Amino acid sequence: MSNIAGKAYAMNVITPIRWYTVWLNKVIFWAALKNPSTLKGLITLSLIHYARWVIIGRNQFPHVHPSQPKEDLKYAYMLFFSNFNGSWDQYVDSFTFAIPSGLDMFWKWNIRYPKSVALTPFHKYIRYNQLDTLHYYNAYPLATSNDVKSARIVKAKLLDFDGATRESSDGEFAREYRKLLRDLQHDLGDMYPTPIVSMSAYQVERRQRWHDGQLDGSKH
Amino acid sequence: MTQQLDLLDIQGNVLRAYGRFRYPAARYVFFNIRDGARGRDFVAALTRRVTTAVQWGEGPDKLPAPEWTLNVAFAYQGLKELDLPRESLIGFSPEFVAGMKDRRDILGDDGPSAPEHWDPIWQRNRETREHDVHVFVSINGLMPLPKDAEPAAIHAAVLEAQVRVEAGYRWLQDQLAACQGGVVQLGGHRGDDGDLLDYQDVKAVLDNGVPTSKEHFGYTDGIGDPVFEGVPYDADRINGRGKQLDNGQWAPLAAGEFLLGHTDEALEYPPAPSPLLLSRNGTYMIYRKLHENVGTFEKYLDEHGERYQGGKELLAAKFVGRWRDNGAPIVKAWDAASKARFDAELAALEKAHDSHGADQLLSNFTYDEDMSGGRCPFSAHIRRINPRASLELTRDEQPPAKVCGGFSVSKGAFDTPGALSNRRRILRRGLPYGEVKDRSRDDGNHGIVIMMLNADINRQFEFVQQQWINYGNDFKAGNDKEILLGNHSQSEHFPSKAVLQVDPNSDEAPYILPRLPRFVETRGGDYFFVPSLTALRMIAAGTVDPT
Repeated sequence: MSNIAGKAYAMNVITPIRWYTVWLNKVIFWAALKNPSTLKGLITLSLIHYARWVIIGRNQFPHVHPSQPKEDLKYAYMLFFSNFNGSWDQYVDSFTFAIPSGLDMFWKWNIRYPKSVALTPFHKYIRYNQLDTLHYYNAYPLATSNDVKSARIVKAKLLDFDGATRESSDGEFAREYRKLLRDLQHDLGDMYPTPIVSMSAYQVERRQRWHDGQLDGSKH
Repeated sequence: MTQQLDLLDIQGNVLRAYGRFRYPAARYVFFNIRDGARGRDFVAALTRRVTTAVQWGEGPDKLPAPEWTLNVAFAYQGLKELDLPRESLIGFSPEFVAGMKDRRDILGDDGPSAPEHWDPIWQRNRETREHDVHVFVSINGLMPLPKDAEPAAIHAAVLEAQVRVEAGYRWLQDQLAACQGGVVQLGGHRGDDGDLLDYQDVKAVLDNGVPTSKEHFGYTDGIGDPVFEGVPYDADRINGRGKQLDNGQWAPLAAGEFLLGHTDEALEYPPAPSPLLLSRNGTYMIYRKLHENVGTFEKYLDEHGERYQGGKELLAAKFVGRWRDNGAPIVKAWDAASKARFDAELAALEKAHDSHGADQLLSNFTYDEDMSGGRCPFSAHIRRINPRASLELTRDEQPPAKVCGGFSVSKGAFDTPGALSNRRRILRRGLPYGEVKDRSRDDGNHGIVIMMLNADINRQFEFVQQQWINYGNDFKAGNDKEILLGNHSQSEHFPSKAVLQVDPNSDEAPYILPRLPRFVETRGGDYFFVPSLTALRMIAAGTVDPT
């Protein structure tokens, strides 16, 4: 089990909500989507790949086989699902530092939501309601979402540049080349392994590598 | 300021960078406790002489500045040896319990910064009971007012400050002797020519005998220290040092970011051991000895100073975000003309003895006009360790083909502009050590001892060290590290680099610093707890009781 794959962390949080206040949350979601400025903070936090909130009604939980017992749920649930770069602390803290009022708006009608400030009760609420990730695959473990965006920009710019400068004079080429570098000056970061997310995760990884025969001798 | 802190209860080094208060020299001494009871007697003796944060000055209610200061802190093992109850011990933060050596992989202390290269005292620390560092004591010497403004008179005053440090050290030795072996002083600090010393001496870098606020690379150090609630002698230093508000004003940070037992920026008390009297007005201290590779620095700067269009000094300023000659922030002085304007303004303020004005000129700025990093690069030291409000940023012209290398403020995105910085601030104390005798060599005895204070080692110091110094994702820089302090790659095939951005509307190309070497290497250190005076008395008396 790990919530971490490469530089990405997967978070699932499922919190109960009274079925008769679900419509309020749906109105809030609808209003937020209609009004993109409410999500500006979320988008500015560039460590986030994406975040999604979904309401699952009392009778909407998947029933995949007739032999699966029917549950009798008292509450509807709100599923929050997000992938991000960095540690749990870094992510949750960025959320509460930067957009506490936005969080409170989305979670306001959830049972026993403590508000996002002060921090410790919010940490406990998220931790308590978080479902750990059983399987997590990452195709680009060295890449953050910023790196992926940058790679796309570099590719597009480079192709444009190549097409536009084939017939250029030396002077034009130099000018265009300077412009290319200037345009890409925030997209040239190196891509190496992630800093250690936590000592526990690091130790798990080292033990796995030792068992796989990739680490020698004593240091496991 | 809405509150006044209890200055008589807080240790002086927490609220004051002594260097700024005419203390140009200091000695750091470390002890191992062999007997708990005698150890507590030792703490009691020290406590009677500990320098508090009380205001100094003339007059009926003020105290004079002491000729030498004394401050005390403990490593986790030390608190254990002093017989603190387990119930209290388990309340300390996990990082503090683990210590700096154990956290090396988080801190990036690898290669030449790895523990096997640390000074012997730090190599041996936390390996065997007899060599564990338990107690930290610092003694800073006050410089008397020089007879006149001539360098000779000032130098004489600096020497007197060192004599005072020696006086404090002799006093400390007397207290140690009284413990009859119950407390042992730990040696093993590297000095000149590989000598091993019983203490770590530090001293301001002198220019013609006159103390400066520079470190060995030539940068002015310690300008941007944070300002928080209730510190009387920082009341006029808030702009540029506190937190940036929506309306462009500045406010002091919450005291709980730097002192336990006070509410922090998240409106709660930082996690702390019980009882409250043990933790309140105390804080955590990170002690780090950093060697400076002066030869490597000079060579790299010369090599690229020749190629870099703006010249060597501008390049040096790009590394840090401040000019070496007077500390001018590059955001305010980004080219020859703006630098000349800045210099004239600073000179005029200094001539008028307007130290407040000069201080504000140096510290009061934002990155609002420099969101693309054309002036202060995203990997420059001061932008990395304190990005102020600059992480509330958005790309100019979104879809890939239209990207132009520029960023703007993402106005109103966060509830407060400094949201991502305000909880990552750190008080920085300390002085340079050693002397540079040959600027072409790395192997002399020269560097800085930096002591950082914060309420949460993990959230503040370790976060900045790992995420902002040794990594760059928050700055859209991938794995690119902070230029000066970053633990740059030792690999031939995957060298480190940094990008010095330019104005996106100019015709220039960004300058890429290739194959960045390690300019700075760790030589040791550990995490300490700096108790309040109340807590020191309780520890000394053996009366800490969390029930």
